Amino acid sequence: MVKKRLYLELENCIGCRSCLAACTQCGGHEQRNRNYVYDVNPLVNRQTMPLMCLHCVNPACARSCPAQAIQIHETGAVLSALVEKCIGCQNCTIACPYGIPKFDTEQNLMYKCDLCIDRTKDGIPPMCASVCPSNTLQWLTDEEIEAKQKQFNLDNGKWVTSMPYLEGETNVRVNLPGILQGVTKLF
Amino acid sequence: MQEVNVKPKRDQFFKEIENVHHPNEKLVKTHCSYCGMQCGMNLRVDTRTNKIIGVEPRYDWPVTVGKMCPKGVTAYQQTNHPDRILRPLIRDDASLKGTKEGFREASWDEAYDLIVKRFTELQEKYGKDTLSVFSGVSMTNEKCYLTGKFARVALGTRYIDYNGRFCMSSAAGGFLRSFGIDRGSTLPWTDIHETDCLFIAGSNTAECHPTSMFRVWNVQERGGYLIVADPRETPIARRADIHLDLRPGTDLALANGILNLLIQNGYVDEEFVKNHTNGFEETKELVKEFTPEYTSEITGIAQEKIIRAAEIYGKAPNAVVMFARGVEQQHKGVDNVSAYTNLALVTGKIGRPKSGVATFTGQGNGQGGREHGQKSDLLPGYRKITNPKHVEEVCKVWGITPEEMPQAGVSAYEMFELMEQKTIRGLYLLCSNPAVSAPNQNFVRKALKSLDFMVCADFYLSESAEFADVILPSVTWSEDEGTVTNLEGRIIKINKAQEPLGESKPDWLMQVELAERLGKGKYFSHLKTAKDVAEEFRLASKGGYADYYGATWDKIEKQDGVFWPCRDENDPGTPHMFLDKKFYHPDGKAKICALPYRPPAEEPDAEYPLRLTTGRVVFHYLSGNQTRRIQFLRDMCPEPYVEVHPETAAKYNIEHEEVVRLYTRRGEAKYKVKITEAIRKDTVFVPYHFGHEESINLLTNAALDPISRMPEFKACAAQIEKLSMKKVQ
Repeated sequence: MVKKRLYLELENCIGCRSCLAACTQCGGHEQRNRNYVYDVNPLVNRQTMPLMCLHCVNPACARSCPAQAIQIHETGAVLSALVEKCIGCQNCTIACPYGIPKFDTEQNLMYKCDLCIDRTKDGIPPMCASVCPSNTLQWLTDEEIEAKQKQFNLDNGKWVTSMPYLEGETNVRVNLPGILQGVTKLF
Repeated sequence: MQEVNVKPKRDQFFKEIENVHHPNEKLVKTHCSYCGMQCGMNLRVDTRTNKIIGVEPRYDWPVTVGKMCPKGVTAYQQTNHPDRILRPLIRDDASLKGTKEGFREASWDEAYDLIVKRFTELQEKYGKDTLSVFSGVSMTNEKCYLTGKFARVALGTRYIDYNGRFCMSSAAGGFLRSFGIDRGSTLPWTDIHETDCLFIAGSNTAECHPTSMFRVWNVQERGGYLIVADPRETPIARRADIHLDLRPGTDLALANGILNLLIQNGYVDEEFVKNHTNGFEETKELVKEFTPEYTSEITGIAQEKIIRAAEIYGKAPNAVVMFARGVEQQHKGVDNVSAYTNLALVTGKIGRPKSGVATFTGQGNGQGGREHGQKSDLLPGYRKITNPKHVEEVCKVWGITPEEMPQAGVSAYEMFELMEQKTIRGLYLLCSNPAVSAPNQNFVRKALKSLDFMVCADFYLSESAEFADVILPSVTWSEDEGTVTNLEGRIIKINKAQEPLGESKPDWLMQVELAERLGKGKYFSHLKTAKDVAEEFRLASKGGYADYYGATWDKIEKQDGVFWPCRDENDPGTPHMFLDKKFYHPDGKAKICALPYRPPAEEPDAEYPLRLTTGRVVFHYLSGNQTRRIQFLRDMCPEPYVEVHPETAAKYNIEHEEVVRLYTRRGEAKYKVKITEAIRKDTVFVPYHFGHEESINLLTNAALDPISRMPEFKACAAQIEKLSMKKVQ
């Protein structure tokens, strides 16, 4: 099975929140969505951006967990806290530099994106990337991501895939707004 | 060129991906219940309860490859929703009309008997045409077809029309005039991303047809151009190469202005124009007046942008002109459609792959539903009820004589006028919610209330159902099967995933059973399944412009849908139109139309200085009768609002989220203000998905297009009043 990654092309986001709706549909997600979409500057324009778990290689959420409730799957996916281990301390919600883990105050449990592990463990794209109508969220091989990097080579250091890091290397690749700057027009 | 027209293709976005199969679940392949994109989806059905419990992407559908908008993802939640009407409802106290009150449950027999009694009484007293049928196109071709037959054969009335008059009728009128045939897209959607220039007018594509967006963005990613004409900086306009920020209702001037520049700057395909079109010289003369200066004066768009847009469209080796309700919902909607279509005809960018013209069909079956006899003057196969030969052909299939065929009726909005005048006293309403979606609501609601007897078939108690005497519980799209024609003109198959909830029934079955009780069983009783209706419908369309005869359910399944026309068993269908450069006017030529500019029916003045325009948000569909009940969608957009530019807001001394009174000559409503720079300073916008006192259609103008009878939803004059006199701090 060829390894694929979640790839975010932020310039494409149209703010439809389909990724949020789809997140609730994943088998293990108990109808609760675990991702975010923000209006970047709502009084000015319609720019939006998704904020997804970046699945850090060395994740702060897991490091900060005193109960070792946050496991890392062999695919690299940083899983939601194990229900039987999570003590509800919320350290992870504070430690994550991206503000990803959510907290269920009623059950006293954290929950977060597990990259739809019941899909991605078999190479099936996660729900959010499956449905994303604008191709903001894509499920790509490293070769495909490499090709994107070449296609949009800006030669000015502005090509960014999750760099500069807030929290080390991430499994998810992010292409910040500006993708079209490097495109050569057809005519 | 002909060889590309074999069968629908799979493109670069198509990937072989397995679906997830959960234990005790089966997947039913189908399509979404909502817009014309008809995104492929799998419904997840619990095999122990046989109930729909969720959705799984349909990666193998070539148009949308698994993608869905938030409406599509949550569409399955309609089926087993607690608001479903499970048994027929009767209201004995007519004084409660216009409210939710007074309904009691009844058996189907009691409901049918009452309908037959009242319909018969009314017709005996006032004549056949005192009854009317108001229908919709968010249902299968089979249902749309049978509704036309039900009105004309079972009820024997001339008055049938449908909500496509508020949606697609201007596109239909424009295409018929320009091409002599009305297929919403001249090319398949799998071509869109391969073109070099998209010229999109009056379409908030990212919100109304979101699953087109990966193809739209891909055009830009390849180095192609995106030109968007819209009064608002919608998500698609925000990223466009050129955003033509026109005043609402001025499209015709823009299209004429661009055409003039194309002609002046040598982008005319002389050979194509000479051999395959009529009307060029006359049109050339007419558009001469539309210089960049004059066009800019009318539209409010900067001259440079108009010039640049024309240059890009002219230079592009391939280009697609696309439009939607923004240009069509005007009292010159048909002219707008023909005027934008002119761009493709004059430059010869049509009748070949990757180039053409398309409208974004609003309703799920907006294309198919308008072709087969729900329109006041149409019969199956896009035949005209005013053409004796056409009438004869359909009569043969229906088993009636041409003398028994009723005359043409009137358009949707005009039916309300006849109700108010008591020409129409009875109504059978299905698949539509005109008490939200029609313009000039104060009048429309009064007309509905004045009816002697009204039946409404729906699966929820809609705002329109509140005016009914009898409500018949219909099924959602997932509890029946049949075909739908998507926005490409591709006939696709909707599959049944669950048995009807409670005692609900599909519309076609209600109509068969009612026809039997009306003594018309011999024309209907042979229709025992949706497939039976499909077989008769294919036959009824045979030989018409919209010929579905060769589109069998087997073929649809085998080749990922069938594009009409599809005339026989061996015909794979027609993904690309006009590849032979033959159009459907008698001389085989297309018509380039000379269209003088007309301003909107109501222009701003001192009393009403603002331009009001309306539209959709991504979270809701049509009148919102379905989507407002879905928790996720309601959470995302619970109420309407009015978008106002900050400079305009400052003039009125109003703030973000302040509630204001918005009013026109026809009505008023209160809305929360949403301040945004993404709208023209002279324009305000309100989404139309909301009912009762929140409905923006209390304010909209019913000025009708002379050809399509489309009301001018998209432009009227309005004023804002500040409600609270806040003290200045």
